[in-house]
Amino acid sequence: MTADLLLQGLINGLILGLIYSLIGLSLNIIFGVLRVVNFAHGEFIILGAYAAYFLQRLLGLSPFLAMPVIFVMFALIGWALYFVLVKRLARSDDPETASLLVMFGLSITLGALMLFFFEADARSLDYMLEPPFLMFGNIVIPTTRLVALAITLVITGITAWFLYRTFPGKALRAVIMNRSAVATVGIDVEKLSAMTFGIGLGFAGVTGVLLAMIFPAFSPFAGADYTLIGFIIIVLGGLGHPIGALVGGLLFGVTEQVTVVLADNSVALLVGFALMIAVIFFRPSGLFGRQQLR
Amino acid sequence: MAEPLIRMDGVHVAYNGDIMVLQGIDLDISRGQVTGIIGPNGAGKSTVLKTIFGLLQVKSGSLSLNGRDISRLKAHERALEGIAFVPQNRATFADLSVEDNLLLGCWPFRRDKARIARALESVYARFPILKEKRRDMARSMSGGQQRFVEIARALIVEPDVILLDEPTAMIAPKISKEIYALIRQLADDGATVVLVDQNVRQCVNVSDRLYVLELGRNKAQGSRDDFASDTQLRDLVAEWVNYKIDH
Repeated sequence: MTADLLLQGLINGLILGLIYSLIGLSLNIIFGVLRVVNFAHGEFIILGAYAAYFLQRLLGLSPFLAMPVIFVMFALIGWALYFVLVKRLARSDDPETASLLVMFGLSITLGALMLFFFEADARSLDYMLEPPFLMFGNIVIPTTRLVALAITLVITGITAWFLYRTFPGKALRAVIMNRSAVATVGIDVEKLSAMTFGIGLGFAGVTGVLLAMIFPAFSPFAGADYTLIGFIIIVLGGLGHPIGALVGGLLFGVTEQVTVVLADNSVALLVGFALMIAVIFFRPSGLFGRQQLR
Repeated sequence: MAEPLIRMDGVHVAYNGDIMVLQGIDLDISRGQVTGIIGPNGAGKSTVLKTIFGLLQVKSGSLSLNGRDISRLKAHERALEGIAFVPQNRATFADLSVEDNLLLGCWPFRRDKARIARALESVYARFPILKEKRRDMARSMSGGQQRFVEIARALIVEPDVILLDEPTAMIAPKISKEIYALIRQLADDGATVVLVDQNVRQCVNVSDRLYVLELGRNKAQGSRDDFASDTQLRDLVAEWVNYKIDH
């Protein structure tokens, strides 16, 4: 029975971990390219869930069809927000600290605005997949999670292709590696930065829909938890490293879910933090991080 | 006399708004020549290159390329105008392959696959070692080889002018010799090179024309022949040493 529980936790962890890694990935490319700590990332994730909720209520759009719409919508918001706010932070003498403070303020503001407009009641996406569960021996996997896993795998695959096979993706990674050198090859770093923040928020929006599909309810102040998870993941994987985010997400997801099935839900985040502290202790730059990253 | 490719006329440049580092620099860069810029530390040599490339803004004075004012263009726009820059600091992308490093140099014509293939072949012909190591990560290469990657990436767009900031700093003597030979070869093939170098003797040997800067101002200028006598060089270096002691 314990082996079954362990396997159940492992499978849940891999599914959730891959979705969590999307949070880490988007936070990481934003930090890597802009040196901006997006403390409001969790709120944008929750806004993504609300966007799917209202697209469904008002236009009858299923969460699956809402995802590309939300990605484009949030990417455009991110693009605009870059020029209005983020550009100034990225140019400051200490972008990390400046962005931490400003984005923390934005996080509180967005939470309060969501509370004002959407009220504190928890909301759920209204959809059902048949069959609701799949059984593999004693292992039960909700169909929603498998579908979310498939979508996440597709998104991860497209992202990997973008980052490792396309010119803009390689340029984006080049900025993470050596920002000052990028201008010498004729790349418009500002345009690339705006694109990065757009992609980052696009990911946040889509991740919000995926999480709303998996977890039964969301509310205006759930964002902080996801921001926290995102930061644990990038500390585990290494700041500014896309592959690190993927591994960090999986590691955290598996640790969290195995703890849930073997111990208690309330202990899960604690174990996640313990894992983060252990990684900081033995490898301060994260599993994939490099010491030269400031 | 033909119009210079690049002309700086009374250029002032400041760091942080008020720390003036260039104070009225005049410079003419002629086509198909190596123009050397020498001077003691803090003379403003690297600042001149950064200003031409657009990493620093002209506070007053004029800067033109082919007779057209470029002082308001951003760095990436100047790259598109045909100015290439190899900075003194390491400018490779460590976790990209050598070929990906070179490909990023093709950014201005990234949608033209045929031109990219031709450009790669051209730099591989000039730097066979890069073809051999094209799949290797840049970080796995020696400092000298990484310098070749940076120079090759700058040449891949066939620029009108290439700005080289201390290209042989911290590089093994054997590779340094190859780099100086390459610079001379580039000019002989018709390219325009602006070279900033602490190695005065090598800089004089490889340049067609030289400018000496001191404290952000023009101190002297002339052809290689004007600078060729050892007595003059000794006097020049001796003056810099005194300058360091006095200041």
